[in-house]
Amino acid sequence: MRRTIPLILTFCVGMYPIFAFFVPHRVVTNINQNLDTYLVIVAAFALPLGVVNLVMSNINKIKKKDKGWFYSVVLIAGLCLMAFYGIMGGDQGFHAHFQWMFENAVSPLQATMFSLLAFYVASAAYRAFRARNVEATVLLIAAIVVMLGRIPIGDMITGGRLTPISEWLMTKPNAAAQRGIIIGAALGAASMQIRVILGIEQTYLGSGKD
Amino acid sequence: MRTSCLVIISIVLVLAAGGAWSQGMSGFPATELRAVDTPSDGGGSIDLEWEGEGLQFVLIMRATSPGGEFETIGDAIASDGSYTDMRLDDQTDYYYRLAYPAGEDTLLGAVAGPAQSKTNWFRSYRKNALVLTALMFILVISYVTQARKGKRLFIRRISGLSAIDEAVGRATEMGRKILYIPGILSLSEIQTIASLSILQHVSKLTAVYGTDIEVPNKDPLVFSAARETVKQAYMEAGRPDQFKEEMVTYLTYDQFAYAASVTAKMVRERPATNFLIGSFFAESLILAETGQSIGAIQIAGTADIPQLPFFVTACDYTLLGEELYAASAYLSKEPVLLGSIKAQDVVKAIIMVTVGAGIVILAFGSNIVRDVLFTR
Amino acid sequence: MAPFGIPIGVWINAFLTICILSFLYKDNPFFRFAESLFAGMSLGYYIGIVTENTLKPNLFRPMINDFWGNHNFLLVIPMILGVMLYFRYIRKIAWLARIALAVYIGYYVGVYLMQKLHGDILFQARDTIVPLTMGGIEAVWNVVIIVGVFSVLVYFYFSAEHKGALGRVSRVGIWFLMISFGASFGYTIMARISLLMGRFSFLVNTWVRPMISG
Repeated sequence: MRRTIPLILTFCVGMYPIFAFFVPHRVVTNINQNLDTYLVIVAAFALPLGVVNLVMSNINKIKKKDKGWFYSVVLIAGLCLMAFYGIMGGDQGFHAHFQWMFENAVSPLQATMFSLLAFYVASAAYRAFRARNVEATVLLIAAIVVMLGRIPIGDMITGGRLTPISEWLMTKPNAAAQRGIIIGAALGAASMQIRVILGIEQTYLGSGKD
Repeated sequence: MRTSCLVIISIVLVLAAGGAWSQGMSGFPATELRAVDTPSDGGGSIDLEWEGEGLQFVLIMRATSPGGEFETIGDAIASDGSYTDMRLDDQTDYYYRLAYPAGEDTLLGAVAGPAQSKTNWFRSYRKNALVLTALMFILVISYVTQARKGKRLFIRRISGLSAIDEAVGRATEMGRKILYIPGILSLSEIQTIASLSILQHVSKLTAVYGTDIEVPNKDPLVFSAARETVKQAYMEAGRPDQFKEEMVTYLTYDQFAYAASVTAKMVRERPATNFLIGSFFAESLILAETGQSIGAIQIAGTADIPQLPFFVTACDYTLLGEELYAASAYLSKEPVLLGSIKAQDVVKAIIMVTVGAGIVILAFGSNIVRDVLFTR
Repeated sequence: MAPFGIPIGVWINAFLTICILSFLYKDNPFFRFAESLFAGMSLGYYIGIVTENTLKPNLFRPMINDFWGNHNFLLVIPMILGVMLYFRYIRKIAWLARIALAVYIGYYVGVYLMQKLHGDILFQARDTIVPLTMGGIEAVWNVVIIVGVFSVLVYFYFSAEHKGALGRVSRVGIWFLMISFGASFGYTIMARISLLMGRFSFLVNTWVRPMISG
């Protein structure tokens, strides 16, 4: 029963949006929209599951004076400060301190981590330069052609021949391969989604056979 | 005589007025207005259609009785020939007419109606999706039933799968941990569920070999489900005592903060093997390149097309798109799950035949297959 | 507070940017500080976002302002489901947590199933039906597209060994995949470099230059 009830629920709730996809009747779509809002709320309730784990593990580190415990203090301080003003809110939306901290700390940290990708993409490209087989060489050549085709120097070197080749690569072979991947991946996903709805796949329910 | 004159003058005036009217009508850019319920919708809307030409604007007017006051509800270009009036009350009579501003005057077209909007029970334009959905369900159920009855279904071995076992073996030999990153999306994403299936297989191996594993999470629901999955795997492997809650941790909800924490973990703890399986965005390359720089064996798997090139260049093996889902079914070692792979292959073949036929038929000038596959 | 006439926010911004960039050299206490602060603050940020954008407008306000009107009392259902997630920590009723998970997963699996079948498969299949009779180079390129899609689909065919003709077509599929990965890779490189230039532009123009020029 402890497994059967959740599986029956998965089936019923899973079939509902499929039904709603084909039935435009207001009664049906209203329930579907409500379900959507409800589940966003359920997901919001889940956030403390993670927060508690993070806080407890860091408090333990501080208590035990583990190596690097100071950084756990920094983490918890940042979390408390931000969460405090976040929950408090302001007269219109967010608290001013919350917005200030976002703009001057969280946002630049996000942007800088994102910008590190320039270095990582360069090191990945460097590794691709040491292509060890035919497939890797094909990948490398396509990458170089498209990369040079997007910058003026590429056309300067080749007398304007690179841009059309680069565009051709993007719109023909690349688009074809992507289409193949999308159809294949969608079939794989659909098959797995049907397994979940039918209760054949149930790893996500976790431990306990009963 | 006077009477005759009056009659003649009257006739001339009537003809003149009629001439002016017909002149006005011929200048009117849209005629034959029709108002009908929008088909296959949830109600509350009426489709208007007319015959029109030219780029002039026509005003669309609506009333609830033919002789009632018509109010302007919108405008359209005459040659568009259609307009959809939305947010109406169902089961209420509506009347429409078009108006055309000509200089200082406004010419009015004939009244169309009554028309009522109603809510419908089937989106007829989605018949193709209904057939495909039914086909998919029938084939999955049929092949799974065949597999349950013991019929042997051939599914070729996916080349990346042996790499998973080897990667766990390597970590065991080196006495270092395995980092399993289940992507950054929640359980609403099917890739995450596929990733949890593979996590179960990996953690069963770590339980048997006694290898350390850590699963850092971005999503709290995935964190909770991953902990249960690993716990279950250790129980099934007969080593429940070796399971530690710290094996599955929560880091943070932000994509790049998560990437920063995981890369720091990689550099400081130097895992022998990294699994990056699930749904990823821009952080994919940060994670995979850092893993590469510490010399870890890396197995990736995702159906997110923009991230595939990065995983292919930075990881030792990548499960591409559909392979990710197939791998999760294959690794479960349950024949019924293989049945569903068979079903997706049959649909794949049907799609290829349909597309092939569509290309041939199109060459003969017919768009019929393209029309059948049309989606909205 | 504005040392050197530069707002304190810009100083914090610049300091944290340098802390993160320092990781490129090697792991160090500054990076570790920024990383820990980032993890904590970003999580706190999402707590604020979820409270303000999800819980307050969708749950708290409707329930407090008009519990019985507009079917708001039904919001008790997601509340109960949300609370059920925590039953996992109470051994006797731990299984009830699965109910919340089953509803959550079930719904999205259904939603995305239709997206895959309708939005991905039908749409892409239709787009692959391209004309071959118009002659000229465009017809050749359409052949390239058809061969690409079919060979990649054959590569993903699991019901037969990739030997003989199937193996050769699948090999063509791998080539198409590699060209595609290479092209996407090359396309992204320049976009990523421009992101880095954006950060350096901030450091130089917003932080250093005003400091030097006073």
